[in-house]
Amino acid sequence: MNEKINLEEIRRKAYTSYHQDGLIDILAACSILSFAAWIILDMIWLGWMSFVISTSIYAAAKRALTIPRIGFVKFPQQRTRGMLTALVALGALSSVLGLIAFMQVEGGTTPTWLLLAIEYYMIVIGVSIAALFSAAGYTFRTNRMYAYALLTLIIFVPGHFLNFPFYYYLLLLGTLILLLGIAQMTRFVRRYPRSAIDTTGESGNDQ
Amino acid sequence: MTNKANGNEATTIPKIDRLVHEPARLTIIAHLYVVESADFLFLQRQTGLTWGNLSSHISKLEAAGYVEVTKEFVDKKPHTALKLTNKGRSAFKEYRQNMKQVFEDLPK
Repeated sequence: MNEKINLEEIRRKAYTSYHQDGLIDILAACSILSFAAWIILDMIWLGWMSFVISTSIYAAAKRALTIPRIGFVKFPQQRTRGMLTALVALGALSSVLGLIAFMQVEGGTTPTWLLLAIEYYMIVIGVSIAALFSAAGYTFRTNRMYAYALLTLIIFVPGHFLNFPFYYYLLLLGTLILLLGIAQMTRFVRRYPRSAIDTTGESGNDQ
Repeated sequence: MTNKANGNEATTIPKIDRLVHEPARLTIIAHLYVVESADFLFLQRQTGLTWGNLSSHISKLEAAGYVEVTKEFVDKKPHTALKLTNKGRSAFKEYRQNMKQVFEDLPK
């Protein structure tokens, strides 16, 4: 055997090829743009509806676009479960913090950490979105998610010092990721034509 | 090569599972080892093997009880899922250990 079997490399390649269709990028971009639409139009239902629709389209697109080209694979769920647990814990912690803040504000005292979070909201939101991208990068072993996390910080941190409306940054980030996702998908479709299944039935070089 | 080295090789090499050792099958097993299950097309894309070649090796691995082949319908389309069995996983782990031992026992 001339080549060393590198399981980590095989695992990384399997994850990368399954997620190189750009769909996860487009889903993330749609979620960010939905958030922006919610703020611009002040219609919370629109944001949620767009998110639900894009999630459903993601599942259907995976079946229609990815699986016929690259095949179907189920990955071990340890990382996904771990990440979901972490997200639920984070959500619960945020809810508790929100409740504490609400009670303190109702009681007539605004906690310092809440004042800081409000003052630096651009950085707080930027870091939160970047953390979500990093979590996705870790779960799906996809390096470009880390690049999106960096892009988010590049857009949101200077935003703290500039005076543009908040949704501008969301629109910029969402549009950039959407364009990158579409480029990724186009490359994927060109690289893996749908009918390229080899059915020649060549005999194996068995020993 | 010393006699001791010869002795070690002589005891370790026969332990190498030839069914796993064949390069194409080793590649298939390594790919199935890192996922829960996959279909033929995914394995074909990942390994670069032809359809017939892959099919022939999968049959051998299935006959040995290393791979479980499940035929099912997904969205009204036939779908074949391939999964490494516990026996297959153990065989692969043992193969890796034995190969490591073979190379460690070789004189520098």
